[in-house]
Amino acid sequence: MKFLSVHDLLKQYLEEGRIKVDKSIHQELTTFHDPCNYGRKSERTFGHGYYEEPRWITQQCCENFVDMYPNRANNFCCGAGGGAWASPYVEERIFYGRAKAKQIKDTGAKLLIAPCHNCRDQIMKSLRKEYDFMDVEVKYLWELVADSLIIEPKDE
Amino acid sequence: MEPLLLSKREKRRLAGQYADLCLTCGTCAGGCPVTGVDGLDVRKVVRLALLGLDQEVIDSRFPWVCTLCGRCEHACPMNIDLVKLLRSARGMRDRDKVPGVLHKGVAMCLKTGNNVGIPHEDFMFLLQDLGAELAEELPGFEVPVDKKGAKYLFTINSKEPFAEPEDMMFWWRILTAAGESWTVASKNWEGVNWGLFTGDDASMKEIVGRVVQNYKELECEYLVLPE
Repeated sequence: MKFLSVHDLLKQYLEEGRIKVDKSIHQELTTFHDPCNYGRKSERTFGHGYYEEPRWITQQCCENFVDMYPNRANNFCCGAGGGAWASPYVEERIFYGRAKAKQIKDTGAKLLIAPCHNCRDQIMKSLRKEYDFMDVEVKYLWELVADSLIIEPKDE
Repeated sequence: MEPLLLSKREKRRLAGQYADLCLTCGTCAGGCPVTGVDGLDVRKVVRLALLGLDQEVIDSRFPWVCTLCGRCEHACPMNIDLVKLLRSARGMRDRDKVPGVLHKGVAMCLKTGNNVGIPHEDFMFLLQDLGAELAEELPGFEVPVDKKGAKYLFTINSKEPFAEPEDMMFWWRILTAAGESWTVASKNWEGVNWGLFTGDDASMKEIVGRVVQNYKELECEYLVLPE
């Protein structure tokens, strides 16, 4: 059985020129959130953490990129992992997210890319409001790519 | 205070294969954003496990307030399997004591094929309807359902058809632009496996097995995990 992650597929499409993107669409300073599952846990379970691929993909679609600190294997969880987004411990989930919120705000970025449904929801729908950074836009990694696509007319 | 007998350790059930290597340095707890919630932290959980006080850990909220993010484990100088330990505590709760909707989602997925119980007909209608909407932008587009021999089988996060259906179009646009051969399954298409979060290995395996069955029956080359 063969399987691959969204990062592998998006990177492959961009490298092979199967999709073309216009990075001038996203001029604003952009940062990237490392989801625990794609990073640390993938590294431990499968021997490879997806740290560089999503950064590369993001930078194909954005002019200005800045990393949070700490990042990659030392990144802070969004605070909603492990099912916490669906758990009743809301106060604790928001408290947990303070570390993430500070990291994001410290970058000064106005666009944040999250390649995980859960992380995106926590940051976009909860942390932005709770920690006052509604001015930061949040997108899925594949949303960023879809929004950057140059659609060429098909040759019939 | 009752004395803690070392013999109690024999009864220890929490899965922390290497927990007795703990140096009690506290690096794990030092780097964790929920250290101190309910008076607990991951270092204390290790101590409780080693002392055989499993039930205290299982009954506490800590394994659920923890997000199993693995930052503690990554930093641990002795490489102790802390996430496994905490997740096993989740798994040892009675299922009716799993907080919130997580176990209900697992049960729903086993019963209906997705965590939120979207009926088959509704799902089919949604894909058709949204496909038609996207076709206005990308002429000829339709969602390829159960397409045998497609290169990629995509699972779907039920949150999207349930609450944010238009977000599925991001991938549809990319796949169309790439001229890709892909498909989604009409049944057991759920890409989220909450058994991972509730420590329920049996259910997790069953749900994964159904996805693998789709992959085999549809004779796809790759399974894509969009989350």
